[in-house]
Amino acid sequence: MAIEKPQKELLYSVPLRFVRHRVTGHGRKSVDHQIPLIPFIDFLIVLVIFLLMSFSASGELIAQQPTITMPDAANTTNLEIAPVIAVDNRVITLDGNRVADTQTQGQSAQVDRIEPLIQGLEAEKRKWETIHPSEPFTGEVIVQSDRNIDFRVLKKILFSAAVAGYGNVSFAVNQREQ
Amino acid sequence: MASIDTGGGGSGKKPVNQEVPLIPFIDLLLCCIMFLLATAVWNQLASMNANQQVPGQASTEDAPPEDEKVKLILQIRNAGYVLGSSAGESIDIKKRVVADQREFDVDELKSKLGQWKQAWDKRDDLIVAPEDGVRYEDVIIAMDVASAAGFSTLSMADGATFL
Repeated sequence: MAIEKPQKELLYSVPLRFVRHRVTGHGRKSVDHQIPLIPFIDFLIVLVIFLLMSFSASGELIAQQPTITMPDAANTTNLEIAPVIAVDNRVITLDGNRVADTQTQGQSAQVDRIEPLIQGLEAEKRKWETIHPSEPFTGEVIVQSDRNIDFRVLKKILFSAAVAGYGNVSFAVNQREQ
Repeated sequence: MASIDTGGGGSGKKPVNQEVPLIPFIDLLLCCIMFLLATAVWNQLASMNANQQVPGQASTEDAPPEDEKVKLILQIRNAGYVLGSSAGESIDIKKRVVADQREFDVDELKSKLGQWKQAWDKRDDLIVAPEDGVRYEDVIIAMDVASAAGFSTLSMADGATFL
């Protein structure tokens, strides 16, 4: 079968004059349209540049929680992967698992051990040492706390973390421009 | 499809006109956008680091210099800040009243910490000792100011131990 130059075929076989007039355009403005690709590409490039500027190679290590409003700080460092202790007005959680009540911990002035937290952190430590047998344990833990939490509660959390071997604390904050 | 037309092509030479393949380029950009949107992190989270080892507790083989034995302490009390050292210095920075509210005097702390840093220019360690009842946000603000003043190695301690 021969290859022919493409041309208008649709409805050409209808042997009616008015149909042929309609098909050929009948002297009216052509309905062919050029898609403006260059502005579209410009738009895509601007979008890519914007997204690249907001790109973070470390990813999202901790998620914003609706019950926690973190404080702002300017002189900060990047977060690194570590167990996350989240403290809101109601509960204290370790990697999402509830370990204590905030109200209960805030009542007594004594520096008490939070046993479920210590056990959870020790389990995390054993897991880390199994995965990284040749590396020294850094003992880092992230504390993600609401800005209005009494330091008395945090003191107990820090003490329990230190008991479990986590001496380096990273306080999660919202980064503020300097 | 866009094309580059040099206007030549006659006199038997090979034409140098070229078609620019825009469609694959658009595909590439769309793939980039999909990837960047999927991996985008919209909240700017960071951390302020502190350790729980008060300077002087660590057992080091070499004896520290004389001035490093002095502990520099920033107490955050409910009444205000207290800058002190184990050498006996003590600077009180009381809370100020702003719109009938008593607030920590952060500007004064900035100024005093700047002066302290000049006096202890070889030191970058500071013990931050908040008291019970102090809000977590006030602790972070004090740590932020201390970091800005040049005290990059912060240690956390219980404020009650320094009362």
